[in-house]
Amino acid sequence: MLIPYDITQNPLNTNEWSFPLMECIHIAMFAMSIGTIAVVDFSLLGLLFKQRSPAEVLRATSIWTLIGLVVVVSTGMIIFTTDPLSYYYNWSFRYKLMALLVAIVFNYTIHRKVAMSNSSGAARVMTGAFSLLLWSSVVFAGIFYAFTEELPYVGGPN
Amino acid sequence: MSADQISAAIQNLPYFTAVRESGLLYPVILSSHLTMIALFGGLILLTDLRLLNVAMKSIPASVVVAKTRPWKHAGLMIMLLLGIHLGGAKFQDYYDNPYFLMKMSLLVCVFIHAMVFRRSVYKNPAALDSPAGPPAAAKVAATLSLVIWVSILSCGRMIAYWDNPNNQPGKAPLIPAGHTYGRSR
Repeated sequence: MLIPYDITQNPLNTNEWSFPLMECIHIAMFAMSIGTIAVVDFSLLGLLFKQRSPAEVLRATSIWTLIGLVVVVSTGMIIFTTDPLSYYYNWSFRYKLMALLVAIVFNYTIHRKVAMSNSSGAARVMTGAFSLLLWSSVVFAGIFYAFTEELPYVGGPN
Repeated sequence: MSADQISAAIQNLPYFTAVRESGLLYPVILSSHLTMIALFGGLILLTDLRLLNVAMKSIPASVVVAKTRPWKHAGLMIMLLLGIHLGGAKFQDYYDNPYFLMKMSLLVCVFIHAMVFRRSVYKNPAALDSPAGPPAAAKVAATLSLVIWVSILSCGRMIAYWDNPNNQPGKAPLIPAGHTYGRSR
């Protein structure tokens, strides 16, 4: 082992409440981060706050999105430490990480630009729909992790 | 007929059996349930934060309440429909699970909460938009709503961590010793 690390010594694996508590915070905070992004998406799709511009909705929610993202990523990393190898060797987790990275970059580049500008209907609808799908897929991958067979260990301990 | 037998009969209905034994459908329903937390839980959270006068201040509180209402109702219906599938498919495990029972009780509280604050807060745009910010009743309603919903999602998560002592004679701890929490859930 390159880094000596014994998961059985991790407080999250030795205390019966800490792991579920982390998960509950993780769930509440993805509700806040993805939920506030979804409000902007609904606005881009013309389904919510029709009298307001998506730019105004984005400005009103962006701080809550950011706080949510910081906490959800932090708790996610803490949860990851409970069994790093089994997460690493899980295709669902790998997809989740890639999709999350794309989703965060997308959120602060194209999504933001389209919401802030008075773009045409088509660009708005496509951005809102893509954002909803992408973020939903991150949640799906988080659940599918538990239902997915581990990939074969390549050069791993087994 | 005992509660256990009734619960077994419910979970063994052909429809719920099919859901439980399907390879893909069950995780898809579970994932959708969680995605709904993100999409519609976010609306509840934002409304509560608006009533507490900390978020979305550029949009009047009455507008936030009125415009998000139909979406929250739709989200709740989808959520309940998905939840009935998840609960029904494993009802024999769930009916005496304390976290499941707490979650169901809290869902009743959501209904009571809506009834109690309906006239004073949610259908009272004049008070919500007063220059001094939403009234105290609105802040109480928002705080209670946050507490109830965070409790509901926490209980929902905890359902999976309660091992029914009936299924494991002589073994009653909340989580068995040596259990690797991350892997099996």
